Amino acid sequence: MKIVTKSVLTALFGAVALTGATAVAQAQKMYEGIEINLLTRPGPVIAGRLEERGKEFEAMTGAKINVASVPFADLFQKLLTDWATGTNSIDVGVFASGWAVELADGDLLADLSDFVANDPDLDLDDIAPYFREFNQKINGKTLLITIDGDFQMLYYRTDVLDELGLKPPKTWDEYLEVAAAAHGKDMNGDGVKDFGSCMFKKRNAQSFYAIMSIAAPFVQTQGTSQGIFFNIETMKPMVNNEAWAAALAFFKESGKYGPPEELNHDIGDTRALVTSGRCALMLDWGDIGPLSIDETTSKIKDLVGASILPGSTKVLDWESGKLVPCDAKRCPHAIDGVNHAPFAAFGGWSGAINAKADPKVIEAAYKFLSYMSQAAQSNYDVTQGWTGYNPYRISQFETIEPWVEAGFSRESAENYLGAIGDSLNSPNMASDMRIPGTQRYQGIILDRELARFLAGEVTAEQALENIEAGWEEITEEFGRDGQLSMYKSSLGITN
Amino acid sequence: MPSVFSEWLDRQSRHLFIMPAVIMILVFSIFPLIASAILALSRVRLRAGGYKVTFVGFANFKKQIFGSEQFHFLGTFGSISLLAWAFTIAVGALLIWWLLRYLRGPVWWLGLIGRLIAAAVLFGIAFMFAATLLSGTQIGTLGVTLFYVFVGCTAQFAIGLGLAVVCAQPIRGRTFFRVVFFLPLMITPIGIGYAFRMLADTTKGPFAPLWQMVGLGDYAWVTSPWAARFFIIVADSWQWIPFIFVVLLAALENVPRDMVEAGHVDGASHSQIFREITWPQIAPVAATVILIRVIEAFKLVDLPNIMTAGGPGIATESMTLHAFFAWRAPDLGQSAAISYLLLFVTVVLCVSFFNLVILKHRSAQG
Amino acid sequence: MQSTPLPKNTVLGRFFEPPGIGKMSPGGKVIVYGVLFSWSAFVLFPLYWVVVTSLKLPIDVNAGPVYLPWVDFTPNLHAWRELLVTGLGKTMKPYFNSIVIALLSTSLCALIGSMAAYALVRIEYKPKFGTILLFVLAMVAMAMAVGVAGVDWRLAAAVAGAIFVLLARTLGRRFKRSVANGDILFWMISQRILPPVVTIIPVYMMFQNLRMLDTHAALILSYTVVNLPIVIWLMYDFFAAVPIELEESAQLDGASRLTIFFEIVLPLARAGLAATTLLVLILAWNEYVLALFLSTSKAQTMPILVAAMNAGEKGVLWWTMCVVIIIMIIPVILMALVLQRFIAKGVLTGAVKG
Repeated sequence: MKIVTKSVLTALFGAVALTGATAVAQAQKMYEGIEINLLTRPGPVIAGRLEERGKEFEAMTGAKINVASVPFADLFQKLLTDWATGTNSIDVGVFASGWAVELADGDLLADLSDFVANDPDLDLDDIAPYFREFNQKINGKTLLITIDGDFQMLYYRTDVLDELGLKPPKTWDEYLEVAAAAHGKDMNGDGVKDFGSCMFKKRNAQSFYAIMSIAAPFVQTQGTSQGIFFNIETMKPMVNNEAWAAALAFFKESGKYGPPEELNHDIGDTRALVTSGRCALMLDWGDIGPLSIDETTSKIKDLVGASILPGSTKVLDWESGKLVPCDAKRCPHAIDGVNHAPFAAFGGWSGAINAKADPKVIEAAYKFLSYMSQAAQSNYDVTQGWTGYNPYRISQFETIEPWVEAGFSRESAENYLGAIGDSLNSPNMASDMRIPGTQRYQGIILDRELARFLAGEVTAEQALENIEAGWEEITEEFGRDGQLSMYKSSLGITN
Repeated sequence: MPSVFSEWLDRQSRHLFIMPAVIMILVFSIFPLIASAILALSRVRLRAGGYKVTFVGFANFKKQIFGSEQFHFLGTFGSISLLAWAFTIAVGALLIWWLLRYLRGPVWWLGLIGRLIAAAVLFGIAFMFAATLLSGTQIGTLGVTLFYVFVGCTAQFAIGLGLAVVCAQPIRGRTFFRVVFFLPLMITPIGIGYAFRMLADTTKGPFAPLWQMVGLGDYAWVTSPWAARFFIIVADSWQWIPFIFVVLLAALENVPRDMVEAGHVDGASHSQIFREITWPQIAPVAATVILIRVIEAFKLVDLPNIMTAGGPGIATESMTLHAFFAWRAPDLGQSAAISYLLLFVTVVLCVSFFNLVILKHRSAQG
Repeated sequence: MQSTPLPKNTVLGRFFEPPGIGKMSPGGKVIVYGVLFSWSAFVLFPLYWVVVTSLKLPIDVNAGPVYLPWVDFTPNLHAWRELLVTGLGKTMKPYFNSIVIALLSTSLCALIGSMAAYALVRIEYKPKFGTILLFVLAMVAMAMAVGVAGVDWRLAAAVAGAIFVLLARTLGRRFKRSVANGDILFWMISQRILPPVVTIIPVYMMFQNLRMLDTHAALILSYTVVNLPIVIWLMYDFFAAVPIELEESAQLDGASRLTIFFEIVLPLARAGLAATTLLVLILAWNEYVLALFLSTSKAQTMPILVAAMNAGEKGVLWWTMCVVIIIMIIPVILMALVLQRFIAKGVLTGAVKG
């Protein structure tokens, strides 16, 4: 009896021990003890969700995510200084993907291609083709994980246009007609005259994104790989031509139907005007949709519609520099004879990892970014306006329920998502500039000459000449061949 | 107290008093000064995990003064008008007369070189103004900065002095007024920039109904270069007059009351008392406060950045803002070059001011 | 020097002549109070607007100007709640950092600066130009060794120091030219001329080498150094106004320089010291560029919180920004109230002349 008891007891003891061991092994999480320092813009926009999801991630894996923030205008500088000087106190940066090219040029970003290839949860095919191929990859390597998709669309007041019996404009000329018709009407019932068109034109803000959105459909017709900035053979700037001249003329003309202070309005001011119901037409990123249904800020709930950016019936002949009418060969992607080229301005907030971080930290950080981007999390986040995340996954604009739950009416949700779908599905989506020195090309030269043109300091011809000369100078300084190869690879041209 | 130690301490006091300050400033300033000088003479790029610095000599400076950035820095040179020529010649003549006057007295070679440099720089600036402003074309960031400094600081000094004189009078509620007048300086400059942006907005701002009543409802000050510059000076004055006010008030309070009362007894009027008694007492402090204010004014960056981002066009862009935009690009070499040009102009102007006004006054006082 | 006062029996005379010594005429009073009140209005209106905006909902700000709470719009405390209730931790940390850093750096600066200013007034310095040049060259060599060759800074400092001491006695004495007080003063104020944007990256790298990034000490040291020239320049004039006879008589009585400074000179210049301290406190409290780069999370200060309210393409959050501006003023007002008593006190009512 004793021997049996002993062996039974031993067996029992062994079984309990084994179960205990397995339980302990499961309780010890994968990334226990790892701390990830993340830097982004101040919340609640972008950062708020990162913090909340960070806590979820910690509960799942044990890795602690420390979200620090720095004012938006200085975020890039802070990241650059931390990584370029070897301080390396920051492991992950969540920033505008357009800035990544400068960082990648200095070999500061970790290569995530292998991680992405082995990560079925990320569901790459669900990410819209533009964001998958052009936003996340630099020089063929995946260096970024998208969590927010940024491109510009047209917004219009459905009630105002219905009253005037007008349809949403399909070309920039129609835009001016609609704006002229609506200008001066009282659109929000406060007795004060309102504006036909509201655009951000302030220097050193976002005005240069607007001009690129306007110029894109004049310049690009053959698909994203054509590009809108440089000649693919010579790297000569493609700005000193009739297409950009038309864009500049339009930009100035739209000022007739806008607020008198428009030259000093950045996107915050313009959005404020739109949400308080004072504009008939506006260009913006995806944020107007979710912002419009928030009743503490918006007077235009369910009164705003969205559509793909207006295009053009006349496009640029790249050889001659002149505008010529669209035909089947010139504009293969035209819709009803109008060439559209939705512009993916700014790129979208994406996460990138410090190349010099600890390998285990890189792995954990990648898992976190993937978690943020996966449909299970992202599809909810993009419906909430306060998060600042805009749609970039195909599943996000194909399912309407989450949007209705968030507060959209069915009709406006369909309209909003339809516009997003049109833009993201367009094979002629125009890519933002993604080569070294982008901030100099755009922020210093283009932005400054645009401001001078709007202020009347230079004529359109002079402005375009100055831009061309300024861009050439930068290209020479950086090395024409290197810039050309970077430009081609940013457009997905591999030869 | 052990007397030997205290005696030794007393003998060392001449070093003890000044060394901490000198060492701290020297140690902390040498490296950044040299590093930024190197940056000004180089081209900086981001490569392979760090900054790559390539020496290019004076290329950055050439670009600003003669090259593609000339219109940005100096201004657009149009055809020079008759008035401009007249002005230039007048200034040139004045400077030559000043140099000749110096040559008549005892000449020291370093003093002569200093005066020659100052004269050259002043002539250059005068010519720049003549060729741009007086010829109807646009001035660049150098001109805008000088405008902010001279017009702004003059107005600020005049108003600050006036307020200090008024507040030094026997008035009721002195504490209230002193604290209230001091408030603007307490607010963080970024906050002031945004607050004034709000105030000057003709659609959302509090003065909107006023503009509309006067018929300026459709006028946007941001589209007019001089109106925009004016608004920035208004905001800058609002912020910095308290500085001048507080320092001059402290100086006025320091003026011995018996001297002032003696003047009253003698039957002198207020303005005479001010001119003969008060002003000589506060003049050194006034000169110091002007110098400090001018140096800070040359660095004006937050207000034009927040209020107009340097617009319309480049009309309100100061040199520091110009350097800041370049730095953000990031074009560190160009940014350092512009800052060194600013340093050069400021030093020339301040040294002249210091030597010709402050030192002369101090040596006269004995 | 005699002027003819206006005759007292005319209206104008009675209006503009003072009734007695130390008092103001009625006309003078009108002008003076007129100026005071209009300037107060000019100062207070923007502040009023800031306070009122902090109570507004976004829709109240964007639609058009509304002026009076409860009359034009319903005041809403959402911005205040967001900063002081739900986000208290996020607001208090920079607040605390700002207070500590500003107070410590200002005290240090005031102490070191006034001592240096006093020395420059009373003592004549004649450091040899050669010695200075040698010191600068030694520092340059050390900087290059650390920056370019990657030598450990302690080793480089020791070597540079040794070389300087050795050579100072021989080469340093060769150059007879010396530098005077005025030059030293000018060198100090010239430190303020270069805009911070150009020196920020070298300063950042300096502190990175010392492993002091994101610490309070880094900011305290930086602010002290940056504001020293202002203290020295301002206190110079206030010390110069102290009559030298007082110090000489104390010296005859056998007091040491330190005693004279702390017990005689400093109390007499306390008006100036109070004004200077207040100014430097404000400069340190409101400084942005250095704080942005030398701190990331642990040592972040309030001005960064203000800048964070400009949410880029999401617009400026005017309401919360106004709240931050308001809470930033409060400690400074308190300090000003405390210090202004010292500024107000008159000095020297005949201590020497009498």
